[in-house]
Amino acid sequence: MEKLNSTLGAVRSLRSSVRQCFEHLADGTNAELGEDSRTKFLLKFQENFSNMNAQLREVESLINGLQAPQTPYCLGQTTYLAQETAPERQALYSQLVNSYKWIDKVHDHSFLAFNNLNQNNLRRSYTYCSQKRVRIPFASCNNTDPDHTDKLLSEINLPLTSYQVCRPFGSNVVVIVTISRVLKAAIVCKGVLIEWVTVKGFDETLDPDDLWTESRYEVFRKVQEHTHIAMLHFFSPTLPDLAIKSYMTWLNSYSKLFLEACKRCGKFVSNGLPPTWRDLRTLEPFHEECRNC
Amino acid sequence: MGVTVLLPYQIPEGKTGAQAIDYLTKRLLALGAIHTGQFLVDCETYISTPQHGPAKTVHVLHDSEYPASTFSILDNGAGKQIPLVADNLFDLLMLKMTTVYTSKKQTKIESKGARFEYGDFLIKLGSVTMQENFKGILIEIEYRPCVVLSFCWEMIRETLQGFLGMPIAKEYPAYFSQQIMNPMGQQQIHPKQNDLYEPIDTINQYLECFTNYRKQNVLPVASSVGVGAGAGGVAVTTQNATAGMQGGNQRMRM
Repeated sequence: MEKLNSTLGAVRSLRSSVRQCFEHLADGTNAELGEDSRTKFLLKFQENFSNMNAQLREVESLINGLQAPQTPYCLGQTTYLAQETAPERQALYSQLVNSYKWIDKVHDHSFLAFNNLNQNNLRRSYTYCSQKRVRIPFASCNNTDPDHTDKLLSEINLPLTSYQVCRPFGSNVVVIVTISRVLKAAIVCKGVLIEWVTVKGFDETLDPDDLWTESRYEVFRKVQEHTHIAMLHFFSPTLPDLAIKSYMTWLNSYSKLFLEACKRCGKFVSNGLPPTWRDLRTLEPFHEECRNC
Repeated sequence: MGVTVLLPYQIPEGKTGAQAIDYLTKRLLALGAIHTGQFLVDCETYISTPQHGPAKTVHVLHDSEYPASTFSILDNGAGKQIPLVADNLFDLLMLKMTTVYTSKKQTKIESKGARFEYGDFLIKLGSVTMQENFKGILIEIEYRPCVVLSFCWEMIRETLQGFLGMPIAKEYPAYFSQQIMNPMGQQQIHPKQNDLYEPIDTINQYLECFTNYRKQNVLPVASSVGVGAGAGGVAVTTQNATAGMQGGNQRMRM
């Protein structure tokens, strides 16, 4: 990649020196100044010309040093643009590249801003923030390549839980999680960010084509509300992989949905419902109304 | 469809069946349950005619919770039971088979009463009658979101204790730890509480209870019967119970 960059740089400087040379030629000499300026002009032209030659040679040698890439670059969804037949839409590619650059810059700036703001929040103690500390490798979380998502999901391996990954919407993943013989959940991801969760009973059908119907049981509708709370709690754009892993661990605690009594009141049933809330850190079960008292 | 537990209710001494149902209804409504209509489970028994080998019995049951199905259980007389779930047309088929299977009309038994919903729980208070004679009270409780009894037994137990106002044994009900015959012909305990629950399990429980009530008919002095979670049988004399039942019917019509 670096070689390609330096070659592009060399091409750019070659173009600028050619342009300079031609500008110089176009300006010409002033006929009134006589022989002296003419030799000056000639010398200047020769200098420009040899510059051009040197740069041309450099470009050629750099081009020879380039290797053809072994694998085609992953262009993500943009590869589909090649299949576009309407001529007025073929110009989309350049616009896409521009917006891509723009988003890239936004990411960079926001990441810097995030770091800065993190240092200056309202803490009572001064935290020492060394510049030498290794910066967390920044990963864009809503536009990752599919292999990464697959790998991430295959790493998650929790007891009593099975995962089924499908992609009904292009490259974005829908994970159907079956926890013990208790519940099923469909997790809709954008990249590796969780966008929506649907929870249903073990005996209900959960079809990737129909992710929006709610469960017919009150308890799973309540659990779905709680999964959405947890989804927002675990949301972490800077560490998306960790976020999804902790979310899955939390969700897995529902394997004992009907088996555990509330930690506060010690009862199983309250208002006809089991303890539907699981603490976000300790994973302890609570009734919804026992949670905050 | 979820796990269902069927429990014969011991009517407190000095109360009629209708009074007991009334008392339970009040407690359920106070708990926050909503009355959602009526239900009916009936059972008719057919016996094979002697010229067709050893006596076999077919129990045909209907459950208003599964209105499109007819459940039948064939008992070959040697302890083996074959369940069959069919469409309602099965009833007409049985009528055609009168030469092979004859109906024992006097043993037609049914459980009917009110149906309540409490959260995801479904609670049914059924009064059992055989030939217009009141036999006892059967309480059916179903926890619909769960399909394995061992997961939700504690929840069911707590809810039952909540409205019955009496302790329920911690052990799983007898039906779920019954003895079965394995392919080698040996008796063994099948831990049914870890199996996926199916509608036929509800029907089997009803049949078990109905059979016990029928046996009581043969022996008029009702004694404690070890059914369900050990709540015992129902000790009511028939006359008293019939009077009580009529009262119960009037109340239900209101």
